[in-house]
Amino acid sequence: MVVPVESTGDTSVQLPVDAELHRRLVYGDESALAEAYTAYGELVRRVAVRVTRSPGAAEDVAQEVFAQLWSRPYAFDARRGSLRTWLSMLAHRRAVDWVRSEARHRKDARADDSALHAIPDAAPGPDETVVDRERSLLLHTALAELPQTQREVIHLAYFAGRTYRQAAVELGIPEGTAKTRLRTALRTLAESLADPPDPALERGA
Amino acid sequence: MTDDHDGVRDLLAAWAFGALPPAEQRAVPRHLARCESCAAEAEQLRETVRLLDGPPRAGRAEGTVPAGGTPRALTAALRARPGAARVAPHAAAYAASVAGLQALLPEAEGRWSTPVVHDWDVHATVAHLLAADEPLAGRLGVGARVPDAGEDASVDWTDAWNRRTAEVIAQEHARTPEETVADWAAQAAALLAAPEARDPEPAARATTLMGVRLPVADHFVVRAFEAWIHTDDIGRALGLAVPPPPAEHLWRLVRLAVRILGLALGPTAPPVLFAVTGGEEWILGSEAEPVRAELTLDPVDFCLLVGGRHTPAEVPRRAAGDQGAVRNVLERAASLSWL
Repeated sequence: MVVPVESTGDTSVQLPVDAELHRRLVYGDESALAEAYTAYGELVRRVAVRVTRSPGAAEDVAQEVFAQLWSRPYAFDARRGSLRTWLSMLAHRRAVDWVRSEARHRKDARADDSALHAIPDAAPGPDETVVDRERSLLLHTALAELPQTQREVIHLAYFAGRTYRQAAVELGIPEGTAKTRLRTALRTLAESLADPPDPALERGA
Repeated sequence: MTDDHDGVRDLLAAWAFGALPPAEQRAVPRHLARCESCAAEAEQLRETVRLLDGPPRAGRAEGTVPAGGTPRALTAALRARPGAARVAPHAAAYAASVAGLQALLPEAEGRWSTPVVHDWDVHATVAHLLAADEPLAGRLGVGARVPDAGEDASVDWTDAWNRRTAEVIAQEHARTPEETVADWAAQAAALLAAPEARDPEPAARATTLMGVRLPVADHFVVRAFEAWIHTDDIGRALGLAVPPPPAEHLWRLVRLAVRILGLALGPTAPPVLFAVTGGEEWILGSEAEPVRAELTLDPVDFCLLVGGRHTPAEVPRRAAGDQGAVRNVLERAASLSWL
């Protein structure tokens, strides 16, 4: 029922803009770093907060993400994807790492009751059960491990608030492909809940 | 049967993510009300997204960037890697090239012996740049790795240049790559801290280096050119794309290369209208005759030709008119063998 539509064009200039910004980052232009932060800082924090549930941790993740973009600029290749998805995926990966290391820390601390409340920031809120928290981490971990082509679409459609059609244009793929990737990805995530792959996480529950 | 069951089922994931355009958004609930299997799948997918979302965070704006000043996120970045040195425009291209190479070298960690160009590996390429920056550093009296010997007109500068490169590469291979990088970076920083890098007036003084007499300001552009070309070499060797310098720097390299090409062609060469895409045009060669041909090159391709990274035969070009005149320009450009 979905008719292919011509690209809206409003994201098609993204790549040259990214390439230009990246060029200035590579050659040490500090104003390019500030521009990248203005353009993508909010997205990076939004992704990090969603995973970590902690504004403080999200701030740390944002700091790491932009430090990496700036000090290792060659890790991004403008020919292979947009800066938006690259930063979003990096933020997500770093945020998942943060939660996992925080969970380990918490477990270690359990032996030492006095340290139990050392990291209240990331504790489940009143509306969130510990089980939901664990399941959410499980999902985000599974998300971080999806193939890159699927992750790119999820990052645009979910974290960056694009419609699947806009995401298709931004990624330069057919709309049907974007839909299929979202579906495959979300089904994989749903199944990972039914069948948790990481026994270490289960023990933590 | 136009209930488009298959069509809606394909939309369910996008729907669960809230990523449907409004028209399709409305179609989904209509179908779910009639189709149990889709409703079940929709529920499962929606629940998965709900868990990804986590609980609503009442009262806290998600991901807002605090306004004003250099954000904390960026002060850490700038501590990890300082920006390009702030210098006068004539030295800015060199400052940028130095910053670009400095950011690339950590990627060589564990891969220093990767072959790059000539018979140099990554380590030797940095050692070559260390040697190549020495004459200007010596002339400006900074860094002082070697005493400034002046340019002895009786000695072919390329011989002296090649001998010194071989010597430094041999020396540096006995040291760690990190030590070589530190020395190269220190000498580059000293050059960029020199009054000639900061102030156009002392930089206007002409001096002969690498066989060519130019204002010191232009010698900084030559250094930028070489540092970038070798950064590009190292990037290729490591499988990393090195973007060309930002336009304002690239054009400085192009203009200097055209001037030197004009000198090399001399006043009697068959005249060619030479254009660089996105920028200027020049008439190269004799002014006394009508233009014989037109030649257009991309700025990066032109630099790579002058830098010896494109051959005259294969460099992408647009040309019209006398092919001999065009070939003459391309071959002369390549023969500058600047690096």
